[in-house]
Amino acid sequence: MYTIRTGMTTEEKLEILADAAKYDVACTSSGVDRKGQKGMLGNCSAPGICHTFASDGRCISLLKILMTNHCIYDCKYCINRYSNDVPRAAFTPEEICELTIEFYKRNYIEGLFLSSGIVKSPGHTMELMCRVLYKLRTEYKFNGYIHIKAIPGVPDELIAKAGYLADRVSINMEFAVEDSLKKFAPNKNFKTIMNPMEKISDTIALHRLACGKDARMERSAGNRYLENSIFNVKRLEERGFGRKELPVSFANGDLRRSFAPAGQSTQMIIGAGNETDYELLQTTQKLYQNYDLKRVFYSAYVPLNEDSVLPAIGTPVPLLREHRLYQADWLLRYYGFQADELLTEEKPDFNEQLDPKCDWALRHLNLFPVEIMKASFELLLRVPGIGPTSAKRIVQSRRYGTLNYEQLKKMGVVLKRAHYFITCGGKMMYKVPIEEQYITKELTVVNRKENWEIVHRNQYHQMSLFDDYAIG
Amino acid sequence: MYVYTCKSDYDSMLSCIYEAWASGKGHKNIKLCVEPVEQFGLFDEYIHVDADESKAEKVSSAVWHKISPQVYWEISYALLSFEEDALDIVYRLLILGFHFGPKVLDMVQYREVIRFREIRKLVSREAHSFREFLRFYCVNDNLYVAHFEPRSRVLMPVASYFTERMPSENWMIIDDTHREAIVHPKDEECYLRILTEEETKALLATEQEDYYSRLWRNYFRTMGISQRENRACQNNHFPLWMRKHVTEFRETEA
Repeated sequence: MYTIRTGMTTEEKLEILADAAKYDVACTSSGVDRKGQKGMLGNCSAPGICHTFASDGRCISLLKILMTNHCIYDCKYCINRYSNDVPRAAFTPEEICELTIEFYKRNYIEGLFLSSGIVKSPGHTMELMCRVLYKLRTEYKFNGYIHIKAIPGVPDELIAKAGYLADRVSINMEFAVEDSLKKFAPNKNFKTIMNPMEKISDTIALHRLACGKDARMERSAGNRYLENSIFNVKRLEERGFGRKELPVSFANGDLRRSFAPAGQSTQMIIGAGNETDYELLQTTQKLYQNYDLKRVFYSAYVPLNEDSVLPAIGTPVPLLREHRLYQADWLLRYYGFQADELLTEEKPDFNEQLDPKCDWALRHLNLFPVEIMKASFELLLRVPGIGPTSAKRIVQSRRYGTLNYEQLKKMGVVLKRAHYFITCGGKMMYKVPIEEQYITKELTVVNRKENWEIVHRNQYHQMSLFDDYAIG
Repeated sequence: MYVYTCKSDYDSMLSCIYEAWASGKGHKNIKLCVEPVEQFGLFDEYIHVDADESKAEKVSSAVWHKISPQVYWEISYALLSFEEDALDIVYRLLILGFHFGPKVLDMVQYREVIRFREIRKLVSREAHSFREFLRFYCVNDNLYVAHFEPRSRVLMPVASYFTERMPSENWMIIDDTHREAIVHPKDEECYLRILTEEETKALLATEQEDYYSRLWRNYFRTMGISQRENRACQNNHFPLWMRKHVTEFRETEA
């Protein structure tokens, strides 16, 4: 068994506990606007603020640490499982508060992301975490962003407490199917994950109603009104996830305070279990619709532990697959796509060569080419190379005159993808046949460089006199 | 071609627009330019315009009332830009603006409008980047000082964000390019100060490493996952020219 080393400095602890926390993906500080106040420290801005970018290109926006990496669980994929022999440490609440405050004042971070290994029991751990947050909010008068990772299987009161103190609460799902969860995380089960998730989502909705907001989280403005979107109000109502009524007994002042105003999120591991992309994407869509999650994150599995059921150490990290899933996630949240349009049970994985949107467009060539001057906003969004911003610009500007390809390019339309699918003033940009095979071949060439870079990012690099031969 | 030139402060630029407009030489034959002019044209006539508060006031009130307050805010933001053609493009936008009214900002069929939106976007992006990448150094335990070297004059928009973020701290943001500083005493309103050469020199010494900046460097190094290393992505998000005063990228003496 491990022993607790005493006399460790904050510096050493920070190194151990930051290292243990870095595999968690979410590091966003978005979703809530809060003004600063005299006497307090900090504010929040809804688009989120990234303070720096680590060597892997991921944004660092919050101080992402574990409270402790002691853990009684033995999840196979986790670096902190109890059967691993790694240095262990635990922060005191004061240390966490001071680090947060001092880092915040120097503009290093936007707030705190607190997660933890499990000491004694889930309830005990969660209580300690809540104590830290309480201290930070009251004693240290911290008004910035806090993201807390809720631990599966804790009493409801503690989740409620966390929700009042933090801006975002998240519970990691880790796997999209129950079998994988059983296999890789024997101490967790779906019930203890989905149950609190549902409760948090209901409580958020109630508090939002009490504050006079819509029960559901804010979504990209365009997507809410698209006919086919997963957030379409009518569709949600048909499925029974529509407007919630505020119960009479709750209509008092008590609910008019913010409860996890930035919503909740979750994370799934890619490449450790054997889920298909189809299952992952379906689960994602359900989480967005049924539990009104603000974000679902994917984390490409980085092999850290030697275990017979896991990919061996040194297996390449499935970065391209993660990238495709994020692309699809964006299609759901901003472009009005549904999960079953992108993947089907017969074709459960994404095309490695093409991004999901191009792939979809090639399977629906009968809809193309579309005329820029006439096509609906919804259809414009579905053209590869046109995103929400450029679609909006097209719709706004075509009221005042005709558009040509040069102007489209200036507006941000990616013509190297889009020109196969659009006409402008009745003409295509080049003379190309609308044939699936031909366009697939052309688009694959366009995407090839990008894909290659994602897969081979670390293996090869441009030789440099200065780095490789230490000249200069 | 007549080129109207002026200094780079706000009043001068608006006065320059006024003079150019009132000259009656025809919009086609006029160009506006901020001093210093890098290369003089052989066949151009250069006319210097001094700042005049009443002329500037006339321009701003005309834009505000005859076009729209939104256009006024947009042009005042765009005039902060370091881009060479910013002033001229604002002039061209105003010509269109007085003709078409407030909807001019959406009329991207005009090249001037596209360029104007680009300039406007560059300024707000730069301001946003420095909100993220500004780093304060703690001096004497109770004063936080930040240096930065922006291309555009984004000190005001950056500082106004920090008045909200840290209302109850003593802090100071110094724009080393334009030699200006915003000083914010605890719980009070902040004010702008134009720095003298001596002051700039003295203030350079404030970038001192301390315990927490060391911790932050360590933390920053630890957070990168080596198996996913991607320097290109890092450089895209965090341009090299912005890193000069940033704690985690600064070379330490040690």
